[in-house]
Amino acid sequence: MKMNSSTLFVVCLLGIIANVNAKECRATIQDACRPYINKQSNPLLESTCNARYGAIGHLEPDLVKYATSHLVKSFEYLLMSTHFGNYDMNREGFEKLFRGYSDSKWADTIELIKHITKRGGKMNFSPISTSADNYELYEIESLAKALDMEKSSMNDAYLIHERAIRKIDSSHDPEISHYIEEEFVEKEAGTIRELTGYITELSQMLAESEDNGLALHFFDDYLKGL
Amino acid sequence: MKSIVAFAFLAVVISAVSSELHCTVKRPNIPNDWIDMVRPCVEEMKKQIQKEINASMKYLAMGAHFSRDTVNRPGFAKYFFEAASEEREHAIKLIKYLLMRGELVSGVSKLIKTSFDALPTTHWNNAVAALEDALKTEAEVTKSIRNVISVCEEPNDNSRFNDYHLSDYLTGEFLEEQYKGQRDIAGKISNSRNLWATMVNLENSCSIKNCCKQCKIKYSRPQFV
Repeated sequence: MKMNSSTLFVVCLLGIIANVNAKECRATIQDACRPYINKQSNPLLESTCNARYGAIGHLEPDLVKYATSHLVKSFEYLLMSTHFGNYDMNREGFEKLFRGYSDSKWADTIELIKHITKRGGKMNFSPISTSADNYELYEIESLAKALDMEKSSMNDAYLIHERAIRKIDSSHDPEISHYIEEEFVEKEAGTIRELTGYITELSQMLAESEDNGLALHFFDDYLKGL
Repeated sequence: MKSIVAFAFLAVVISAVSSELHCTVKRPNIPNDWIDMVRPCVEEMKKQIQKEINASMKYLAMGAHFSRDTVNRPGFAKYFFEAASEEREHAIKLIKYLLMRGELVSGVSKLIKTSFDALPTTHWNNAVAALEDALKTEAEVTKSIRNVISVCEEPNDNSRFNDYHLSDYLTGEFLEEQYKGQRDIAGKISNSRNLWATMVNLENSCSIKNCCKQCKIKYSRPQFV
């Protein structure tokens, strides 16, 4: 414990030193280009010759977490899709729907990584522990789970946005709040509405008769044709 | 009076029943004589799916590394992000194959891990180091696919079931792509190595897009390098 706190102190101290040493990029370049000056091994490393500005330092962990949760969700959707693809379930529409969500989450993971690095950040691939869940769900249950997943994703986006627009605790970053609004919030709102529509429709169909084989078949067929 | 109460009770019961959803259908009994894959083979296939995902994660990390502002190799970043998506596609192809053969009716939840350990490497000294790492990974994947084929041709469960179709599929679709892909990466490493002395400087100045035109010309005319 003592060891830990002293390590922390050293790390903080180094952080402060690095911060103090951070020169403006041009000054660094000028120093580096001067022939007879005693040069550091790589002066650019500690300079401001990078793409970091605004509150990336504050928001980087949140963005990394957001990217990671997209990655996990893309695998979760893939498993849900797989379940509907077996010969016993045989719901091609549901299989297609969740495969689409999986693809979209995967593409968003890559986009988020690109954006983190665009802002001078680093994607961190630290261990991810997700509680083991069941992905072999029946039709309407799978839609309900997807709705929960999307709302949780939207909530993550709102939290990042909230921090990025807050000026007080130096996490203010209009570029990031705009990015979240433009690329995620809008699309997510569409997905949440879409899923809610499916659940409303299907639950009405399932309430009508006890023999729901036909209802489920038609609904799956509808999803397949989208 | 009694009959009215009974009627009201019945009405309540009916309304309760009709507001409840009938969410699942009874699954019909389907003959399973057509499902002929044997366990050891299926298990190897399942393991291979996770291996493809792992390779995908590794390339994702490479893409992330070369995207960094202070690393700045957009061409390599793009290449590795595409490689990551390709590995994911491979996993999906294997899943689709198992579904086609009547597998994955149960146990799907554990098919792909949704918890991961930290990636062992997330930094590469240069593009060639990453390409070399990628070539090693591909070689491991190839070896692993060969192992799946060999288990599926001679499973050790006394069934002696030689899965001709799967062997053919893995050989034609997967090994084909593996060998071509490996050759491609090896060629890229060779190019980079041959030009290495000048590459270090050249590559460093080539990160800006406009510059790449010149680089291409230089690459295609070795006498100028």
